Amino acid sequence: MGAVHAKAPETTMESHRTQFEGPSNDTDPNFNFDIRTVPVKVDRVVIDGVGKTKNDILEKTLKPVLSATNFKEMVEKSTQAKIVLEKLELFKKVDILIDTSKGKNASTNGYEVQYHVEERKYPILNVKMELGAHSANESDVVVRMKSPNLFGRGELCTLDYSRVFKDDGGYGFQFSKPINGDPDIRIGANVYKGYAEFPWSSFKEISRGTALHLMFPTILGSHCLKWEGVWREMRALNRNTSFAVREQSGHTLKSSIQHVLMRDRRDDKILPTKGYLVKLTQEYAGLGGNVEFVKNDVELQYNLPLVFDSIIQLSLAGGILTKIDQNKDIKINDRYFLGGPLTLRGFTVNGVGPHSDGNALGADAYWLSGLHLYTPLPFRPGKGGFGEMFRSHFFVTAGNLGNVNLMETAKENFKNLTETFRLSYGLGVVLRLGGIARLEINYVIPVRSQNGDNVDRGFQYGIGISFL
Amino acid sequence: MASLVGDVMHLKIGATEKWPTDVAFFQPYQVEQVTLPDYSNCLAVRTFLSMSGLKFDLQLKTNAEEMSPSGRVPFLKMGAFLVAEFDPIVANVNMRGLSISAHLDETERSEMTAYITMVHTVLYNAELYLSWIDKDIFASTTRPRYGSVHPWPLSWILPWKRQMEVKSRLNACGWIDKTKENVLDEIKACLQALSDRLAKNTYFFGEKPTELDALVFGHLYNLITVRLPDSKLTGSIQNYRNLVDLCTRIEGKFYRDIQEN
Repeated sequence: MGAVHAKAPETTMESHRTQFEGPSNDTDPNFNFDIRTVPVKVDRVVIDGVGKTKNDILEKTLKPVLSATNFKEMVEKSTQAKIVLEKLELFKKVDILIDTSKGKNASTNGYEVQYHVEERKYPILNVKMELGAHSANESDVVVRMKSPNLFGRGELCTLDYSRVFKDDGGYGFQFSKPINGDPDIRIGANVYKGYAEFPWSSFKEISRGTALHLMFPTILGSHCLKWEGVWREMRALNRNTSFAVREQSGHTLKSSIQHVLMRDRRDDKILPTKGYLVKLTQEYAGLGGNVEFVKNDVELQYNLPLVFDSIIQLSLAGGILTKIDQNKDIKINDRYFLGGPLTLRGFTVNGVGPHSDGNALGADAYWLSGLHLYTPLPFRPGKGGFGEMFRSHFFVTAGNLGNVNLMETAKENFKNLTETFRLSYGLGVVLRLGGIARLEINYVIPVRSQNGDNVDRGFQYGIGISFL
Repeated sequence: MASLVGDVMHLKIGATEKWPTDVAFFQPYQVEQVTLPDYSNCLAVRTFLSMSGLKFDLQLKTNAEEMSPSGRVPFLKMGAFLVAEFDPIVANVNMRGLSISAHLDETERSEMTAYITMVHTVLYNAELYLSWIDKDIFASTTRPRYGSVHPWPLSWILPWKRQMEVKSRLNACGWIDKTKENVLDEIKACLQALSDRLAKNTYFFGEKPTELDALVFGHLYNLITVRLPDSKLTGSIQNYRNLVDLCTRIEGKFYRDIQEN
C-alpha cells in the first residue's frame, strides 16, 4: 500500500473529480485501494507564475491544503482552493499538479501541491452592439474595459462607455473588492450616467448616480446591501406625450437604501430543470433628496422535474410601493408596470393598467404569477447538443397592476387587486441566449383583460433578461 | 427639419377653433422661484392674453420649465395642445383671428415686428446677462431662486448648468464679452428708441394696445420692480417718463392683482 504514487498531470477541476473519487485504475486491474485511507502529509504548496498578486491573499486561500491527512482530502482541498482562486478572478488560468515530495526534508508520505498560474497582463477590452437596450429600434455600441485583480487582492474594476446613435449614451465605472480574500464577501462602488427611453409611457430619462454596495452570505442566502444616490432628469419623449406624463417631468434626486436577499437553488438561471428561487427586495428612499417611498418586492420560483425531461415551473412575483409623505405623489419613474412577451404574456410591453392618451402611467402595486410546462422540442432535434438551447413550453400567466387606495381597507384593496386580474395562456418556444437572456416566440390567447389594456393576441416574441 | 414641419403643422391644426375654454397658463412660482428673464416673458404673455381678452387659468408649477415643449417658460395648454413662449403664442392667437394688431397697416406691422425683435434681443439678452453672468446678482438672487425648489446638491448643479446654457447663448450673439456698463448702455439705447417711438401716444400704435405694448410692459415692469443689488438700472429706466407711464397705464388697466400673485 505504501508504494502508491499518484501523479496528476495538468488537469482541470472536472477531471480531478472523475479520476479520484472512485478507485484508481492503475496498470493492474486487480489493484484496489481506497484513497480515503491513503495517508498523506502535504509538505509544500508551491505557486508559480505570481506577479502582482499579494502573498497574504494567496496564503489565506492555499493554507487549508496543508492540513490534508489523506489522499482524497488533499485532492478536494486543492481543488477547493482552485475554485476560490477562480472566483476571486486573480488569474487567467490555474492548474494543479500533485507530486510526491523529493529532497532531504521530504517526509514519508510527503506530497507537494503545485499551482501553476498565469496572471492577466492587460485589461480585458470588449466592444459590442446592444440591440434595443435603450429604445426599441436603436442599437448602441458598448465599450467595456475590465481589469480583474487590479491591485493584487482580487479588486475588480470595470469601465463602460456606451453610445446610442442619435443621443448621448452613458458611462459607468465599477470597482469591487473581496474582503479578507473571501470571494463571497465583496464591497463595491460605482458611478454611472445613463440614458433611457420609455416608449410605453412616452418619456425619456437621463440618470446620473453613484452607489455603494456590500455583498455577503448568511444561512438564508446571499445578501446585497446598497446605497444609491441618483439624479434623474425626466422629459416628455415628444409632442404627443400625454399631459399626465409630461406633468411629471423634471429633476428628482433619489437617495435610497436597498436590501436584496436571494436564495437561488436552481441549476440554471434561464432554463432551470430543478430547484427554487426566493428573492426579497426592500428599498427605502428618502435619505436626503426629494423622493420618498418604501418599496417591497418578492419573487419566487419552483421547478419540479417530471418524466421525459419535462419540467413544471411555478413562479410568483409581486411588489408594493408605499408613500411616506401623503401629499407627495410617487412619480412615474418609480412606479410598477406590467405586461409583455416575457412576463404577463398576451399584452404589449408594460401595456397593462392605467393609461392616459395611450401612455402607461404605472401603479403602486402589482402581482404576477406564471405556470409553465417546459418540454424538449418535439422529436428532439439536436438532442444533447444544440437542441438543449431550446424548450417548448405551455403556459398560463395571470397578474394585476393597480393603485392601493388608502381610503379603503387592506381587505378591499386586496379584493380590487384580485378581482380585476388579467389572464392569458398559450404555447411557444424558448431559446436560451448565452447564460443571461432568453428569447421566446409564443402564440398567446389573452382571456381576461381590463379597459385600457393594450392586448396583444396571437404571435408574440420577446428577448430579455427578466422574465417570469 | 421634420420636427420643424411637424411643429408648424401642429400649430395650424391646433389653431382652427376659437379660443378654447380650458386654456391653462404654466409658469414657475412667481415669488420664490422664477428668474428675471423668465418672469419678463411670463408677464409679457399674460399681459398679451389679457389685452386680447382671452381667459386662462394660471398654474404655478415648480417644474414648468421641464414640462414646456420648448424647455422655456411660459407655455399654454389648450386641450391636448401646447404652445410655448411669446412669439408662438402670439402667432397662435393671430391664427385664430383674435389678433389685437389687426388694425395696423403693412408698414406699421413690419415696424412693430422690428421693435419686437429689438426688445427680444436687447432687453432679453440684457436680463440674461444681468441675472446669470453678473456675479453679484447670480450669487445673491438668481442661483438661490433657481435652485430653491431642488434639494442639495441639485440646488447648485442646476443653476450652474443653466448658467452654462446662457453663456453659450450669449456667446453666440456676442454679448458675453460685454461689461456691465456696456449692457446698461445697450438697455438705455433700446429704451431711448422705444421712448422715441412712443412719444406722447397712449400706446405704441395709437389708442389700442398691441403685442409690442405687452412685451415692453413685461420687461419694463419687471426691471422697474425687481430688487437688484444696485439700483443703477432702475434709476436709468425712471428717466424715460413716458415708458414708465405706459407701464403704470397698462398695470392699472389690465392688472389689479399683479402684486398679490
